[in-house]
Amino acid sequence: MAEENVTFTLPDLGEGLVEATVLEWQVSVGDVVERNAPLVEVETTKSAVVIPSPQAGRIVELHAEEDQAVPVGDPLVTFAVQGRAPQAGIVGRVPTEEARPARRVRLKPPAD
Amino acid sequence: MSANLVGDVTMRYVDLRPQSPADAVPVLLLHGFGTNFGMNWEAAGWPRFLGAEGLRVIGPDLRGHGASEKPLDDASYLPEHFVSDIIALLDELGVDEVDAVGYSMGSRLAWELALTRPGRVRRLVLGGFGPADAFEGTDLSAPGQGATPFDHVFRTVAGLPGNDPAALAACARGQAARPFSPKPPVTQPTLLVTGAADEIAAGAGELAAAVGGSHVEVPRRDHVNAVSSRVFKQSVVDFLTSQG
Repeated sequence: MAEENVTFTLPDLGEGLVEATVLEWQVSVGDVVERNAPLVEVETTKSAVVIPSPQAGRIVELHAEEDQAVPVGDPLVTFAVQGRAPQAGIVGRVPTEEARPARRVRLKPPAD
Repeated sequence: MSANLVGDVTMRYVDLRPQSPADAVPVLLLHGFGTNFGMNWEAAGWPRFLGAEGLRVIGPDLRGHGASEKPLDDASYLPEHFVSDIIALLDELGVDEVDAVGYSMGSRLAWELALTRPGRVRRLVLGGFGPADAFEGTDLSAPGQGATPFDHVFRTVAGLPGNDPAALAACARGQAARPFSPKPPVTQPTLLVTGAADEIAAGAGELAAAVGGSHVEVPRRDHVNAVSSRVFKQSVVDFLTSQG
């Protein structure tokens, strides 16, 4: 089972904000986190927000110190994610069971 | 789920985990001035934190805020009308008693609820709140035009998406028409939580002492950023889930 490093950048928090300040990390390097677990508490000029983890994985790097301002789109955290062996005929990464959205677009009409 | 309660003023609310154990008292979250349930509580991670304890969460968008109706007359925003909205919501949901948790203006209203409808509130949490006059020195005929702390708050929230500055100004005047008084005191067990650098909540420690409650100060936090802190959330969970 290979591990793959995936970096999550500070998402657009809306309201035209261009950066946020890290208040407190809720995870440490080495932690294994579940998807949607609290990841980091940040403050914008308008409110304080807890950003949930976008995926499950092990934390390998935090890219900002507490009290540091991070521009939207800059690296926030890097996860090591359990990868899968490449499978023939599939381009890109296969999402894990958990990360799969509940509703998917049907590519073919039902054969009835 | 979220739904609308249709009264004289239609109110949007969420009711999370309504099937939680019958002996657990639901938590009523009352947001601050110029925000809404989603921004004040949900984005700050509260529903998840309380959900981990199995607690039911009831969270309205208060009148004049969020997806609720926004009347423009000052009288609609007297504290007693907010209390009526909340009682109507609890009646609609068949909830006899809640633990009321407020932030800032929401704390002012949680106090009013606990004081005037004591049978409906088991425990009371006042976040980001102190006995000082929040509007001191502010010209409420034109809030946001001056340099007081409240003018600053008003300018910040007036521009948020979905807010109506005219409704918020009316809300400020309605609230100011009933200045907060620590007397008579509430009788419920009470916890106050404030950021150590929150000037708007000055005097919280004294208020806690006056009602025989406790006060937790969140180090290094101010009025805006105390609300999402783990210290705040854990203090509330400890307070609400303690026996006795």
